Amino acid sequence: MPEQSNDYRVVVFGAGGVGKSSLVLRFVKGTFRDTYIPTVEDTYRQVISCDKSVCTLQITDTTGSHQFPAMQRLSISKGHAFILVYSITSRQSLEELKPIYQQVLAIKGTVESIPIMLVGNKSDEMAQREVETKEGEAQATSWKCAFMETSAKTNSNVKELFQELLSLEKKRDMSLSIDGKRSGKNKRADKLKGKCSIM
Amino acid sequence: MPAGMKPLEKFLKKQTTALTRAGGFVGGVTDKASGGTGASRRRASLSRVVPFFRETSPESGQAREVFSPDSEDPPSWPSAAGTGPVSVPGSANSSGSGSGDVRSPSLSSDEQSSEASLVTEGGGTPLHPDTPDNLTLAVLDSVAGKRFGHCTETLLDDFMLTHPIFLTADRLQQVLLQQFSFEGDRGGREGERREEGRGGGRGGDEDAEAAMMDAAERKQAVLNVAFRYLDTYRELLQEEGERSNSFPKELYLCAVQELTRYPELVEDVLKLQRWTEILHCPSEEEKESRKKQVRPLFRHFRRIDACLQPREAFRGSDEIFCRVYTPDHSYVTIRSRLSCRVGEILALVREKLQYSEDQPVLPGNLILVAVTSAGEKAVFRPSDEAVFTTLGVNTHLFACEPSELDSLLPLPEEIHWSPGDSKLHDMSAEEVSNQLVVFDWELFSCVHEVEFVCYVFHGEQSRWRPLNLELVLQRCSEVQHWVATEILQCQSLPKRIQLLRKFIKIAALCKQQQDLLSFLAVVLGLDNPAVSRLRLTWEGLPGKFRKQFQQFESIADPSRNHKSYRDLITSLRPPLIPFTPLLLKDLTFLHESCKTFHGELVNFEKMHKVAEMVRIIRRYRSSQLAMDTETSPSHLQTKAYVRQLQVIDNQNLLFDMSCKLEPKDT
Repeated sequence: MPEQSNDYRVVVFGAGGVGKSSLVLRFVKGTFRDTYIPTVEDTYRQVISCDKSVCTLQITDTTGSHQFPAMQRLSISKGHAFILVYSITSRQSLEELKPIYQQVLAIKGTVESIPIMLVGNKSDEMAQREVETKEGEAQATSWKCAFMETSAKTNSNVKELFQELLSLEKKRDMSLSIDGKRSGKNKRADKLKGKCSIM
Repeated sequence: MPAGMKPLEKFLKKQTTALTRAGGFVGGVTDKASGGTGASRRRASLSRVVPFFRETSPESGQAREVFSPDSEDPPSWPSAAGTGPVSVPGSANSSGSGSGDVRSPSLSSDEQSSEASLVTEGGGTPLHPDTPDNLTLAVLDSVAGKRFGHCTETLLDDFMLTHPIFLTADRLQQVLLQQFSFEGDRGGREGERREEGRGGGRGGDEDAEAAMMDAAERKQAVLNVAFRYLDTYRELLQEEGERSNSFPKELYLCAVQELTRYPELVEDVLKLQRWTEILHCPSEEEKESRKKQVRPLFRHFRRIDACLQPREAFRGSDEIFCRVYTPDHSYVTIRSRLSCRVGEILALVREKLQYSEDQPVLPGNLILVAVTSAGEKAVFRPSDEAVFTTLGVNTHLFACEPSELDSLLPLPEEIHWSPGDSKLHDMSAEEVSNQLVVFDWELFSCVHEVEFVCYVFHGEQSRWRPLNLELVLQRCSEVQHWVATEILQCQSLPKRIQLLRKFIKIAALCKQQQDLLSFLAVVLGLDNPAVSRLRLTWEGLPGKFRKQFQQFESIADPSRNHKSYRDLITSLRPPLIPFTPLLLKDLTFLHESCKTFHGELVNFEKMHKVAEMVRIIRRYRSSQLAMDTETSPSHLQTKAYVRQLQVIDNQNLLFDMSCKLEPKDT
């Protein structure tokens, strides 16, 4: 599956330890691990349905530290959609998203047609909550982006996160493979009509 | 990894077909130790000497022995006391060298002796073939002034450079320690042999005195050799940590005890103490702070600020980031030591991808594969080490299951600038060639002398890997492909002709500055079939440039064993950078054309010849090129550009690009 220019590139940013990798791996592999392995930069590819065909969803999981500014700038300029993750247990992690948002804005020029999702992860850690849901929502409003709280650990809202992000993209009609919008009945109907729905 | 660079193949082919006709040669320690097929290992080492060399040799059934004309005839050797099978040498992890400064193992090395040795040692055999232990003793004798008829400095240098081939570090250290503490005559055969230079027996007191003097000379000799050894292998020993410190420590303790009887040794004792400090294992904090700095090796992880710093030699313990891909072109980035084993790399990848026991389907055994941009694949063994520096410019590592191997597809080429946007158009040939030369010097200076030896002798099995030398080869390939890429990305014919002029000028300037690495790399790049077929472009060149290029091409002519090139290089005075692939080919040929061992005896004549070649390289580096200190923005921009070249190395793609620019005549 060589890279084609119709790849859809999603980039995940956020402070170290908020759960970016956990979210991505939970989505891509369905697994979760408690051990913390700092990421440098990983990219996962997955085939999804796109318009009447398929394309490759490319999810780039980035580092929480700022070791490779050039790499970061490159992934922003090539990215189509962005997920900004903080942990609800850390106010600091929400603060750290601000410069990242600014950089996306600076490089893209505008965030109007760009799907951006603000994500408050670790929603399972209710006892340690520092950031209320309302605050997250308020921040998203001021940034004119979408908002969601998730838990990679309990697998809450993870698939929904990516599905919602894809649906924000107006230039293409995309959906995830298995739990896509099309139900089983429709799949068969499409097949009969000669449409190829998903892999 | 072979990436099909035709001109370089042609360039080096002539010599290597001669080699393959002679049959791969079985010999050397690695074969003994590992028991692998010597022939296959030989082929492997050859294919790494010439990065783009494809194996053209038919299977040679039996390896024929090819004796060097100067070596001894086997029958006349005495059978020396065996020291048992020689174990695999080189227990250290890596090679490395000091940053920038010219590494000469001999502190007292003088041009004189190496020049002289070239002249006088031509036909003579410095040492008869002998066991490794006996050779060590012979060197000690020479240093102690007990051997006549040859040059001590040369012998010592020969021994220092080549002993890892036939002697483990442990054994050498053992022998030195033994000899230091040894009192009086050595009995038996060795003692008799050493008596050559002396007269017959003497009486009583004279005997005792003579014995004292003998012992003093011996101890001094051991110390001299020890210091020479420590100086030469300093970085290697530092990599080994506390274990290697036991040698200077023990020697120090022995020497301290002898001070009352031999007070003249006091200076050396202090020196030994300093060595124990140098090799002392760094504290945990030091280790941590050094760990923090991860060095940029791969294109993705380069940072401009790091690129602009003068290059430092890589060591096996250096940490790097590396991308490992999976068959669907997802990738993870792992952090590992340069000398890391493939098995460890795979473990890190598995961890990253969260392969765990509670998965419904356990993944099979992963394998690590190098895939070139053209789709050629090479599978690594789990025991392979330090594989990162062996990769071609756009070769990537893949982790997959064995069943997925055949379906692996190479990554698409990624150039982060569009055709016509090259920064090269805004840079002058002078600026570019200056930066090429400066960078080449940095890279070349990072190569420790011993890397040249171990590149040829140990192949992939060595625990001590010639990392910096491999990076020089990688750079050579990079420059060649850069030339082709830039020209083929240039869609406007007039601009392309300008580029051609510029490259020829760059080549001329590199040659003028005696950087034959970039000089020939640029020439070979222009000789790439995808470039040389651009008839209209070449015809647009003014006559004088075409003439000049033809002259350059003739230097690259491999006929008569690269006579043109060799004539050129002998006419140059240091400092100069040789065309390293050819240098390594010469070393390989030397290695393959005569045996290292005859039974248990080391063919020291061969060691001497190898050391001679290293001394030639030492001469090339004997003076320093003035360092570049300008800091204007445009200057830094050129510098950054030259050090972060983006190239296409997929020959098929280059050819396609060429056909698009100038379609084939129907």
